Amino acid sequence: MAGWFRKPSVLPGFGLTLGFTTFFLGALVLLPLAALVFKASSLSWHDLARILLDERAIASYRLSFGAALLAAAVNAVFGFIVAWSLVRYEFPGRRLVDAVIDLPFALPTAVSGIALAAVFSPTGWLGQKLALAGVQVAYTWLGVVVALVLIGLPFVVRSVQPALVEVQRDLEDAAETLGASAWQVFRRIVLPAVMPALLTGFTLAFARGIGEYGSVVFISGNLPYQTEITPLLIVIKLEQYEYDAAAALGFFMLVMSFVMLFAINLVQAWGRRRQVAVGR
Amino acid sequence: MSITLDQVTKRYQSVPVVNDVSLDIEAGEFLVLLGPSGSGKSTLLRAIAGLTEIDHGRVSLHGRDVTGVSAREREVGFVFQHYALFQHMSVANNIEFALRVRGVKAAERRARRKELLRLVALEGMDDRLPSELSGGQQQRVAVARALAHRPQVLLMDEPFGALDAKIREELRRTIRQIQRELGIATIFVTHDQEEAFALADRIGVMNQGRLLECAAPDELYTRPATRFVATFLGAANLLLGYRTPEGVRFAPPARRERPPREVVAVLRPEEVELAADPADVRSNFVGFGTIEEVLFGGSIERLRVRMPEDGPVPVAPGRDDAGGAVLEVSRTLPEQRELPVGVGRRVALGARRIHVLPTPISSFTVLATDDAHATRLKQLPLLSTLAGRMQTRVSTRLERGAHAPSGMPVVATGPGCAESVDWLLERGAEQILCLSPAGPVPAHVVIYTPDAAARDGTFAVAASLLRHIPAESMYLAIHPADTPEQARSAHLRELLDARSTALTRHGLDLRTEARYGSAEPELLRELGAHDGTMLVLGLGSLERGDGSRLAGLLEGSVQRPVLIVRPAADMDQAH
Repeated sequence: MAGWFRKPSVLPGFGLTLGFTTFFLGALVLLPLAALVFKASSLSWHDLARILLDERAIASYRLSFGAALLAAAVNAVFGFIVAWSLVRYEFPGRRLVDAVIDLPFALPTAVSGIALAAVFSPTGWLGQKLALAGVQVAYTWLGVVVALVLIGLPFVVRSVQPALVEVQRDLEDAAETLGASAWQVFRRIVLPAVMPALLTGFTLAFARGIGEYGSVVFISGNLPYQTEITPLLIVIKLEQYEYDAAAALGFFMLVMSFVMLFAINLVQAWGRRRQVAVGR
Repeated sequence: MSITLDQVTKRYQSVPVVNDVSLDIEAGEFLVLLGPSGSGKSTLLRAIAGLTEIDHGRVSLHGRDVTGVSAREREVGFVFQHYALFQHMSVANNIEFALRVRGVKAAERRARRKELLRLVALEGMDDRLPSELSGGQQQRVAVARALAHRPQVLLMDEPFGALDAKIREELRRTIRQIQRELGIATIFVTHDQEEAFALADRIGVMNQGRLLECAAPDELYTRPATRFVATFLGAANLLLGYRTPEGVRFAPPARRERPPREVVAVLRPEEVELAADPADVRSNFVGFGTIEEVLFGGSIERLRVRMPEDGPVPVAPGRDDAGGAVLEVSRTLPEQRELPVGVGRRVALGARRIHVLPTPISSFTVLATDDAHATRLKQLPLLSTLAGRMQTRVSTRLERGAHAPSGMPVVATGPGCAESVDWLLERGAEQILCLSPAGPVPAHVVIYTPDAAARDGTFAVAASLLRHIPAESMYLAIHPADTPEQARSAHLRELLDARSTALTRHGLDLRTEARYGSAEPELLRELGAHDGTMLVLGLGSLERGDGSRLAGLLEGSVQRPVLIVRPAADMDQAH
């Protein structure tokens, strides 16, 4: 049997484990997705284009992908800082903060959404203050970004943390004795070492942001053309028994997500090669 | 001076890991800091580089005080144990890093890189990644990188620790060659004495945060001053010796009129001579022994020889010295051919050369009323710590006998202490340790000598003590309260003088303070200030009833450990 790609392994039962892998991937991931594609393919090209290029749909794409991208970028910066302080500093309550990071994972997203809406609504604690400054968060695109930042933060922190632990203090000390300033140490030593992990965290946060539904719908206000995200649009189509349209939109999100994640992976691979070649 | 360290102290959670280290390193000198792990040598090196802030003292590089200067601006080259190469950079970029951050132009960087790669014999490796190199090559790159910005000082922290023996030897040669070629002052930290001997112009031995001794390798090996250095550098038999008019003898003294002075003698394994018969011993005959173990080790044969019960007394009590000391002996091949021996054979032993340590503390003798009392005293933290760290013998004496014991007598403070001290002083004791029944190992030591003549001898004992307990020391001078203002400046000069004597002659770094008042209350106040304070009291010439005058200190309400030193008038400085 498949001896030629079989390598000695500590896990026994290669055939069994591979069987499980293909079964789970097939039954739980690929089969539903295939059903989605199948459903969408029952539409004619004309209908498909009509649904996907509908003005309302396009507005929702812009919001979904734009907000997810922006939130992931915000998280990349602040998540890094959070991870840095958790790894590098010893402060009272550090373990507690470390545990709190995971809360958005555990909380039902609807709960986070309601909580955010309560805090940021024009009558909420923060919303009141922000309203005075002329900024409205709830029921605008900004609210969507805030929700996605909350949801995406643990992805970045948890990706970057182990990578930061791995950065030897020796390396920073070495750079320092060689005359590098704090910024140079960060820019030339720490960041390159953490970059792959940071990109992974960014990607995960971004992917999660695109698909996020529960926490967003409560704070976004769901105004068509303005604060309506694509997943919500799909739900609306479903509620109106337009299964074909829902499947078409879902199919489109699937393709777009795959393309973007693939692109980020390419960037990552290219970055690794470039680092090696240029050596910075 | 290229590197000057002045009283450098670094504490972690108030425990000094580097304790009062003062050291001068000349331009072009290769100094090896040697010590067991945890001795503070790496911390000291990092302090010189500016990677660790120090709590006390000064660091100067080329006459520039850099104590408060960051590592970035100290212009030193530092080589780490695990190379610390930037893994994502090529060899070329690693080496050019220091130049790049300084904004040096590409052409110049390239030229310097080529030069350095030639120096470490890695030409043509420019484009490799560190992960593509062997450990030895990586460390060569690290050395080249550390030298790129032409530092005047090179610091190396166990750089060959992670490499195997053959590569270490090769790298040693390279490093020594580079160092000579550049004439750069170098400090090299290691725990490997072979490495230290191979590289050093001078070796500094550290233990428990202190720089114990610093001298040329051969000097340090043949004439160590401390037992730690004697046993850490090579193997050594440490035996209690007795200074007699005919020289140092190993046999314990008979109960004569006055016991001879006890000293610590170093007998290196290679200085022991074996012969079939005392008449054949060409060096000084020591006694008979029985071969217990023979280990063949290539060019050198290692033996363990059991001495009889009434023979030499080892300084450190071993597990198996019931029935006499076990001497370690090593013999070269020609010696082995001359007298082949096997286990169980009885041989005559001679000592070709012995070295007497100048340490004033040889062993302890607890004076107690019964065994339980003696055990209690031996278990007190101060004595058990001292005996453990000095690796010295603590014997017990239950009856007073006719003379003070040859080792340092130990008594308990409290009722009767002053009388015991009196008795001991009258019968020739030169040092007495009075242990207080409670309290931790002292963290502060107060040195007080009412008689200036006793000062030097007291410092010698205090220095020996402080090598083994990490305490801060203070020299206290107490003058009458009615001293006129004019006379007080003379007192300050005296303090400075005392401080420099302590430092230069005994390597003892002291704080000094002058008080005005009467001695006993001032001392009691000082001792009462901290729980862990100890007094080292230097007495001058013997007066009857010295002990009774100390009753307030030894039997009062504030009982602290007191070490009484009364240097003998004819105290022979052993060197």
